[in-house]
Amino acid sequence: MKQIDFKKNLPFILLLILLGFLILCPLISIFAKAVIIDGRLDFYQAWQIITNSENLQTIYNSLLLGVSVVLCSTVIAVPTAFLLARTQLAKYSFLDIVFMVPFMTPPYIASMGWILFMQKNGLFQQLFPSTGALSENFFQFGGLVLVMSLHVFPFLMTMLKNAILNIPASLEESAAVFGAGKTKRLTKIFAPLLTGNYAIGALLVFVKTLSEYGTPYTLGRRIGFYVFTTDIHRYSTTAPVDFGSSASLSSILIFICMGMWMVQNYITNRTSYRLVSGKGTRPVQTELSKLGQFGAWLWIGIVVLIAIGIPYFAIISTSLIKLRGFGLAAGNFTFGHYKELLTTPKAISSIWNSLFLAVSSATICSILGTIVVLAVRKAKGFFKKALEAVSLLPEMLPSIVLVLGIMLFWNSIYKIIPLYNTIGIMVLAYVILYIPYTVSYVTSAFTQINESLLEAGRTFGATPFYVFRRITLPMISRGIFAGWMMIFIIAFRELVTASLIAPPNTLVISTYINREFEQGSVSLGMGMAVICVIITIIALLIFRKIVEPKEV
Amino acid sequence: MKKRIIYLLLVLSVFLSLVGCGGNDTAETSGETEGGLSGKVTVYMPSPAGLADKLAAAFTEKTGVEVEQFQGTTGEILARLEAEKANPVADVVILASWSDGLTLKAEGGLESYTPTAVDKINEGFIDEDHTLFGYSASAVAVIYNTTIIPELDADWDELANADYKDMIAIPDPEKSGAAKDFLAGFVTGLENGEAIMESWAANGLIVPGANKAALEAVTTGEKAILIAGVDYNGYSSIDKGEPLAIYYPASGTVINPRPAVIPNTAPNMDNAKAFVDFLFSEEAQQMVAEAYLLPGVNDVKADNRSNLDEIPVIPADWNKMMGIASETAAKLNDICK
Repeated sequence: MKQIDFKKNLPFILLLILLGFLILCPLISIFAKAVIIDGRLDFYQAWQIITNSENLQTIYNSLLLGVSVVLCSTVIAVPTAFLLARTQLAKYSFLDIVFMVPFMTPPYIASMGWILFMQKNGLFQQLFPSTGALSENFFQFGGLVLVMSLHVFPFLMTMLKNAILNIPASLEESAAVFGAGKTKRLTKIFAPLLTGNYAIGALLVFVKTLSEYGTPYTLGRRIGFYVFTTDIHRYSTTAPVDFGSSASLSSILIFICMGMWMVQNYITNRTSYRLVSGKGTRPVQTELSKLGQFGAWLWIGIVVLIAIGIPYFAIISTSLIKLRGFGLAAGNFTFGHYKELLTTPKAISSIWNSLFLAVSSATICSILGTIVVLAVRKAKGFFKKALEAVSLLPEMLPSIVLVLGIMLFWNSIYKIIPLYNTIGIMVLAYVILYIPYTVSYVTSAFTQINESLLEAGRTFGATPFYVFRRITLPMISRGIFAGWMMIFIIAFRELVTASLIAPPNTLVISTYINREFEQGSVSLGMGMAVICVIITIIALLIFRKIVEPKEV
Repeated sequence: MKKRIIYLLLVLSVFLSLVGCGGNDTAETSGETEGGLSGKVTVYMPSPAGLADKLAAAFTEKTGVEVEQFQGTTGEILARLEAEKANPVADVVILASWSDGLTLKAEGGLESYTPTAVDKINEGFIDEDHTLFGYSASAVAVIYNTTIIPELDADWDELANADYKDMIAIPDPEKSGAAKDFLAGFVTGLENGEAIMESWAANGLIVPGANKAALEAVTTGEKAILIAGVDYNGYSSIDKGEPLAIYYPASGTVINPRPAVIPNTAPNMDNAKAFVDFLFSEEAQQMVAEAYLLPGVNDVKADNRSNLDEIPVIPADWNKMMGIASETAAKLNDICK
C-alpha cells in the first residue's frame, strides 16, 4: 500500500512548486504557442514541424557535433586534470585559473578570433606568408569541433580534477601492496572510481554543445554545417516570428537530452563509490621524473597555446589595430580603443551591470541549487526524479527558447508581479538558466560522500542542522564553489538572454560587444572582450581568497 | 565559516549598492515639458547605435520626455514585441527595413498618424495608410577592398565573371533585412535577376554573416567584393580610413526606407506621436545624414554620401517583393552552402 505522507513530503512539494513556477510555467507558456492554434489545441502542426525531413539532417549534425566535442574535450581534459591533481604541477594553483580562461571567453568571440587567425589573408598568413593557403584547411568540421571543445573542456576538467583530489592514497597504495602494477592500478582502481563523475561532466559537455548558438552561427554556417540551434534561432527572430515552431523543434532537443541524462544517471548510480569517509585521507602524489615533468609542462604548454594563445593573439591584436584593412603592420597599432572604452559611461555601466548579474545569479543559484540537491537526496520515488529532472531542464534546451518563455510568462502575469522590464527579471532569468550547473556540480561532489559520516554525526547526537553545517557542507563546498565560479563566468558574458530580456537602457558586456560588432568598431568590441576576461580573472582570484583562505 | 559568509555578504551588498546607484542616476530628470508632454517614451531601435543615442538625447532636451531605448537587431526587436503581447511596452518601434514594417502592418495593430512634416517626406517613404514612417533610408551597394582590386565598376551580372571567382561575399539575407529586400527587388525587378543570383553562387559566393560581419570579411581582405553591402556601413568605414570603396552598379539597387511605427497599444501615445514628428524635424534629419543614412525628407541633403537622386534604382514593387522575399533569402543560403 503506497501512500504519500503529506507532512513528510511538504518541503519537497513546496520546492517542486517553486521550481515549477520558475521553470515549468515559462516552458508551458512557449510550448502552448506550438500546440494552441487559433484558440484550439492542435498537435498536427507541431508534429509536422518535428517530422519535417530537413530536420533529420540538422538533428544528425547536432548529434555528430555533440559526440565529437565530448570525445575531443575528453582528450584534452583527462590528461590535464590528472596532471593538475596528481603531480608536482598541483602546487601551481594559478594553472586552475589559466585553464578557466578559454571558458571565460565568450564563445562567439573565441570563434571570431579563430576565424580572423585562420582565414585567407588572416593573421596566420600575415605572419607566415610562405605557408600559402595551409591555414584555410581549418575551415571544416574538425575546426568547428576543436573550437567548441576548447571552449567546454574546462567543465569536464574541473569536475574530474575535483573527483581525483578526493581519491585517497590508501586505495592505490593497498593495491600496490598486493602487487598491482601501474597500469592495473589505473584501469582497476583509478578509472572506475571516476566513471560516475566523468559521466556527469560528459553529459554537461554534450548538452552544452547541443544548445550552443554562438560558435555554430559564426563558424558553423561558414563551413555549411547547420545545427539545430541555428534553426531554432531563425524561427524566433526572423519575420514573421514563429515561437511555436522553435518550441516544437526544441522538444526534440529536450527528448534527446533527457535520454542522455537517463543514461548518465544509470552509469553514475552504478559507479558511485563512497570515497569521502571518516578516516583522514591524504591525496596521492605521483612524483614525476625530470623527463616526466618536462613532458607534463610540454602538454600544458601545448594546450595553453591552442586554447588561449591562438584566439587571444587574434583578439588582442585586433583590439590594438587602428585600421582593420591594413592588418599587422608597423604604425597600425593604438591603445585608443581601450582609452575610449574606459572613458565611455555606457561601457562602464555595462561592466557594472554584468558584474551585478553574475554575482547575484551565481549566489542565488548556489543556495537554491544546493537545497535542490539536498532535497533530491532525501526524497524518494516520484519527488526525487521530478525535482532532479525539473532542475536540470533549463540546461537541455537552447537558452533562447526558455528566455522567450520567461518573457511570455512574466508579461502575462505582469499585473500581479510587475517584475518584467526591471533588472530583477534578468537576475531571475539567469538563475533559471544556470541552476543546472550548481545541481550538476553539487551532485558530482555528493557521489563521493560516504553516508556513514552523516550517520556518525547523528549517532553522536548532533542536530540535523549541525550535521549539515559541520559535515555535509564542508564536504560539498568544493562542488558549490566550482559551480559558483562556473555560473559567474557564464553569466558575466551571457549574450542570448541579455540581448532579448534586458530592460530598456540597460546594457551588459555582451550586448555592448555585440553592438560594436554590428554597428561600431570590431576593435572596440574585441577590446571589451579582453577587459571582460581580465575582470573575470580578478573576480575569481578575489573569490578564491574569500572562500578558500586555508587551501590557497 | 561564519567569517566567510560575512565576507560574501559584504561583497554582495557593495555590488548591489553600487549598481543601485548607477541605475538611479538616469531616472530622475523628467518634468520639464513642451506642449504639455511629460513622462517617458519607450523606443525600440535597431542600429546604428550612435544615431539612436543622439536622437534620444535631442528629443529629451527638446521635450523633457525621457527616452527609454531598447537597442537590438530587427530580429531581437520582433521577438521582444511578440513576447510582450500580453503587456505591451513599446511606444515607437523602428525597424531596419521596409519589408519588416509591411509584415508588422499586415499583422495589424499599427496606429495611423499624419506627421506634421508629411509634405516634405520623400515619395514612397510613407505608406498610404500613414502607419509606416520612413524617417531614413539605406541602399545596398558594392563595397570592395582597394588593396586587392584598385578600381571596380562591374555591373551585377559581371560579378559572376571568372575574374572575381571566390572573391565575392554577401550579407546573410536571413539576418540582414537590407540584403533580403535587395534580393527580392533584384529577382522581381530585373528580368534575369534570379539567374544572376545563381551565377554568383556558382562563382564562389560566401555568406559570412549579418551586414557587419560580411563587411568585415572584405575589410580584412578575406574576400575582395561585398555584394549588397549596406551603404552607410561602407561610407563610415571609408571615412575612418579603411581601404574600401563603394559604388552602385549601373542596373540599379533597392532603396530601403527604414520605418518607424507606433503600435496602437503604445502606453504613451502622445509621446510616441511627438517622437515621430521629431524624427522628421530638421535637427533629427541632420543627425540621420551625419550617420551616413539617406534623409527621409526632401529638404535635407547628405554631403558625405550619394543622395537619393544620384542612386540608380530598380523599380521596387513591394507587394510582389513581399511575396517572395523569405523564399529567395532561404534559396540564396541554400545554394551558397
